[in-house]
Amino acid sequence: MKSLPRRAFLRGLGTAVGLPLLDSMIPAFSHAATTAKSPCRMAFVYVPNGIVMDLWTPKTEGGMGRLPEALPRILEPLAPYRENLLLMSGLTQNGGRALGDGPGDHGRAGANYLTAVHPRKTYGKDIQTGVSVDQIAAQKLAGQTRFGSLELGCEQGIQGGNCDNGYSCAYSNSISWRTPSTPNPPEIRPRAVFERLFGSAEIETDPAKRARQEKYDRSVLDLVLEDANRLKVSLGGADRRKLDEYLHAIREIETRIQSAEHGKIPVTPAIGNIPSGIPSNYIEHSHLMFDLMTLAFQTDSTRVATMMMAIEQSNRPYREIGLSESHHGLTHHSGDKDKIAKVAQINRFHVEQFAYLVNKLQSTPDGDGTLLDHIMLVYGSGLADGNRHEHHNLPTLLAGRGCGAVQPGGRHVRYADETPMANLFTAMLDKMGVTAEAMGDSTGKLGYLSI
Amino acid sequence: MLSNGKAVFALTLTFAVLAPAQPFLARHCQSCHNPNLKSGNLDLTSTQHPPATWSKVREKIATGKMPPPGLPIPSKAEVTTYLATLPAAHDAPLSTGPGRVTARRLNRTEYNNTIRDLLGVHIRPADEFPVDDSGYGFDNIGDVLTVSPMLMEKYVAAAKKVSRLAIYGETLPAQPGVMTRLMARRSYDGGGLDNSSTYLPYSMRGALYGSYVFPVDAEYELRFRVMNLREDERKTAGDGTRTRRASLASLTPEERVARLRAIREGSTPEALRENLAQARVAAPPLQVQFAVDGKVALMDVIEGTSLYGYDRGEFVARVPLKAGPHSFRASFPELADLEDPRKHLNPDLRRKVFVDYLDIAGPFQPSAEPPASYRHIFVCGHPRGAHQAACARRVVTELARKAYRRTPSVQEVSGLERLVAMVRKEGDSLEEGVRVALQAVLVSPQFLFRIETEPLRASTARSIGPQELASRLSYFLWASMPDEELLRSADSGDLVKPAVLEVQVRRMLADPKSSSLVEDFADQWLQLRDLDRRRPAPERFPALDDELLDSMRRETRMFVSAIFREDRSLLDFLDAPFAFVNGPLARHYGLPGVKGEEFVRVTLDGEQRGGLLTQAAILTVSSYPNRTSPVIRGKWVLENLLGTPPPPPPANVPELEDAKTGVTASMREQLETHRANPVCASCHSQMDPLGFALENYDATGAWRTHDGKFLIDSSGALPGGRTIKGSKELKQVLRERSALFTRNVSEKLLTYALGRGLEPYDGTAVDEIARSVKAGDDRFSTLVLAIVNSKPFRMRSGVEAGGLKP
Repeated sequence: MKSLPRRAFLRGLGTAVGLPLLDSMIPAFSHAATTAKSPCRMAFVYVPNGIVMDLWTPKTEGGMGRLPEALPRILEPLAPYRENLLLMSGLTQNGGRALGDGPGDHGRAGANYLTAVHPRKTYGKDIQTGVSVDQIAAQKLAGQTRFGSLELGCEQGIQGGNCDNGYSCAYSNSISWRTPSTPNPPEIRPRAVFERLFGSAEIETDPAKRARQEKYDRSVLDLVLEDANRLKVSLGGADRRKLDEYLHAIREIETRIQSAEHGKIPVTPAIGNIPSGIPSNYIEHSHLMFDLMTLAFQTDSTRVATMMMAIEQSNRPYREIGLSESHHGLTHHSGDKDKIAKVAQINRFHVEQFAYLVNKLQSTPDGDGTLLDHIMLVYGSGLADGNRHEHHNLPTLLAGRGCGAVQPGGRHVRYADETPMANLFTAMLDKMGVTAEAMGDSTGKLGYLSI
Repeated sequence: MLSNGKAVFALTLTFAVLAPAQPFLARHCQSCHNPNLKSGNLDLTSTQHPPATWSKVREKIATGKMPPPGLPIPSKAEVTTYLATLPAAHDAPLSTGPGRVTARRLNRTEYNNTIRDLLGVHIRPADEFPVDDSGYGFDNIGDVLTVSPMLMEKYVAAAKKVSRLAIYGETLPAQPGVMTRLMARRSYDGGGLDNSSTYLPYSMRGALYGSYVFPVDAEYELRFRVMNLREDERKTAGDGTRTRRASLASLTPEERVARLRAIREGSTPEALRENLAQARVAAPPLQVQFAVDGKVALMDVIEGTSLYGYDRGEFVARVPLKAGPHSFRASFPELADLEDPRKHLNPDLRRKVFVDYLDIAGPFQPSAEPPASYRHIFVCGHPRGAHQAACARRVVTELARKAYRRTPSVQEVSGLERLVAMVRKEGDSLEEGVRVALQAVLVSPQFLFRIETEPLRASTARSIGPQELASRLSYFLWASMPDEELLRSADSGDLVKPAVLEVQVRRMLADPKSSSLVEDFADQWLQLRDLDRRRPAPERFPALDDELLDSMRRETRMFVSAIFREDRSLLDFLDAPFAFVNGPLARHYGLPGVKGEEFVRVTLDGEQRGGLLTQAAILTVSSYPNRTSPVIRGKWVLENLLGTPPPPPPANVPELEDAKTGVTASMREQLETHRANPVCASCHSQMDPLGFALENYDATGAWRTHDGKFLIDSSGALPGGRTIKGSKELKQVLRERSALFTRNVSEKLLTYALGRGLEPYDGTAVDEIARSVKAGDDRFSTLVLAIVNSKPFRMRSGVEAGGLKP
């Protein structure tokens, strides 16, 4: 099949109508579709401010631990994919609780969600939580794909020191943490994501010239590394930590160049002017990000991704569904039925967009199956009830079959109360082939992921 | 937290020791800090507190942060006596070390500015970088600015792009052509354009404005078309009945063409004249104006019906422009004086007349000179292609000196020279070699970070060197690198001489680059950056468009800028009797006499308006999108003006019921209910009355006398019982606390200047700055100079001291 011209693709990025074009574009630069054994992927989709749990957790069972015939209202949009779903109740993030630190549940929920480490209360220096599960995987898988991980989002992080009662905005802006003190802020501009994945500079066509340019780039990095290492010796304290961050980032780029030399780069499409804007319609925006995530998996550019549907404690109004009130404001409903209904509307709206991703993954061929067969995709929030700021019984949904390691089977597993969420993470890492005996407050590996 | 369960077990002090302090505490503190109210979770009738708590109490009283506004201010003698009664144990020994600023990565603004000043190129690569995290209210805090792998990728890509641009210039098209088409949003939420934030702001009055970076010195054509959708409602049919003609846009293109043809071909000259005359009545002529950098480049008139709009074609302004950013504005100046901009909307909410798009075409006759950046870099001065090998060393040395903001080491220079030589050996030009060296410079940590190094394991504080001082100064006052004059003054060592330093500071403040103090410091201090996030809800405020919001921001920036540039007293922030407004903003305020689009300075009587607090930007940013919040406004005052933020609220506090406000219960009644709870009352008794005083201003800052059906009551009782009413009396209260206000501004500006949060050991330095400011009539330049001469700014603690060893 002849692939579509680039322009069609780029126009497609700007509007909803063009999205299906992505699929016909793929064969031009896909590797994964032809690889014999498909790699396993891992992704996390985060929603802020908790969920109306009454309309999320099924009240009945369909027998044999299966989800009931009629899914709870918020989960309804996922009905067509039920056989690929595993709903989990009872998981807890203890580190999100105050533990003597007072208010600030939103800040803690965000920073704690994938790290399972109680973040330090500060809105200035000494930011500290743990390394997040996606980053543990990314660091172990380093070198196998061009990008360790991809961090996506649909809402710009807040700039301002104190976001939640003394917790830095960094805590609620990012769920992915490369080190306990370095967040990976999500990219929210579709074009920037695309350029990151497939390059933006005009590709040099003359192979000799191109080889020279690549040589120069390597020499530049060598020189810079040499300087930085020399400099590091003369630094102390916090300065030294800053330089470590820098060195780590530079080395990651070196790794990427090396894997490029080993021919791991898929044929990249040439890039023109993708509009650099952010779609103000949430549906378009989130779908574009999901398209890009799919594209990244499909081209095996990365195997790990996170997506924040909005930042934690988001005040975004959802005018797309006629709600002009702030999401966070609504969740503090103090029992008002009207407001609860509106929160549920937002919860369901998010799930509808997530269903788009599930569908996309399910309809994208990958090796001997589809991408959905080769991924563990977790959807959830760091808070259960947003009104009461609960950190137990977190809404958690796993989609995909993780290369056979997960058998979702449309089940609902009720784990014992206070089961650490980190146990799910260690189990997932295990199934990714990345051994991590423990992380955060884990006490083991979560069972019942397969029948 | 002043105290918590764990701390109670720490060392406590007995009643006997504290006895002499009791009269003061009883008179000034215990009316709130008692076992019932426990304001701030602190009971000062008890003596059982750890030393850390007592030292905090001491700090609050010594700096005037307590007692809060409304309560009598203790006399100087009382405070001195109280402080003297405290035994040494109360007063945990405070170090007076200068602190240690963590290596600061350039933030996005600094990166863009530095690239501009280093090379003279005008692209803004950092606009594509991830947003910088902030700490202590500012985005230039070394400890919080991290480097993620994604950011590093952007640095690497930017270094390549910038170095190519700087050496080879823009790749220009062989033929001039349309370079970009700019469009504005057509309604508050985009209005049918494919939704993208790259569109320019929505103007209800039909204007299109923004800025564009022009690639090269050349002539450019700016072509724009006006959409004319004024409906011809007065057209009278042959039988004398008035018919309403459908708007052109509702027709198919074929129908439109047919309509136009019918008018042109099927009419006698008389009928055509008649038709036009009618059209002029229906849609009277309207002036259209196009300005570049504030200067009018084209003036014309549109007239006739919607048909005429299509017939009219493009307006074209051809202007010579220097490479770099230029602002433009196409507008209809008369519309600025519309009483209500909604009068300019058709029933279907589309604007009657608006600028449809702006095409930027060119470059015509581009300058053949190498770009300015080329001359910046090749300091040998040889023409293109004629460089001699010996130039390489000079060029890279100079590059590194400017980019690293200090004399580069021999090793650094030889590393860059090696790169140039390597490229030459591959057969590329010397220029390409320099480009690769520049690429390396731009990803070096020495460029990306501002690093102050010292001998290994130095444990004592030291004065920073003149080159480090130059960097601190330039990033403080310009958010950019030092210029040549400052570098020279640093290289010679003269900069540390007090007289030289003052001359340099005053020169820098007078430089246009010091606008960063407005756009970066003040915008963040006053939370203006939240204005877009907190934009008023269109359902509630349908007459407010992007343009008015921009005008609000601009007003406050101009006001701040006037205080800085005219070196006025900082207290003018509170109640200066002047403001900057244009026609639409003046009407928003109900100020008579101001017309047109231009901002003018007006004198105020101080009744409804005057000072920051009554400016629309501030009143909007401290409101919810759909209503005011006395709580947020009160908190805004405490936090940003007095520097005494209230403690965070306990969890699970419900928000006010929007639906009820103004309908079944007034805001005040709702808040009173809230405050019936003593836990809430302990903080809200401070915040709410300050906010109530501003209740006559709605959530967009417009004056009002009613909220829904309720009459506004702008009075409130401060802690201690004193009642204030309205913004004037609020400002009076703030005036009484002027020392606290200037101290707060000093702390904020010092935080920004240092790029780190202030610590208890900075107290002495802040005291000294406050004294100098007071002695200098609170003038802005006095504050800047006091900061520049302060210990934390001029010195640096040793490594192992961690900032605590003197």
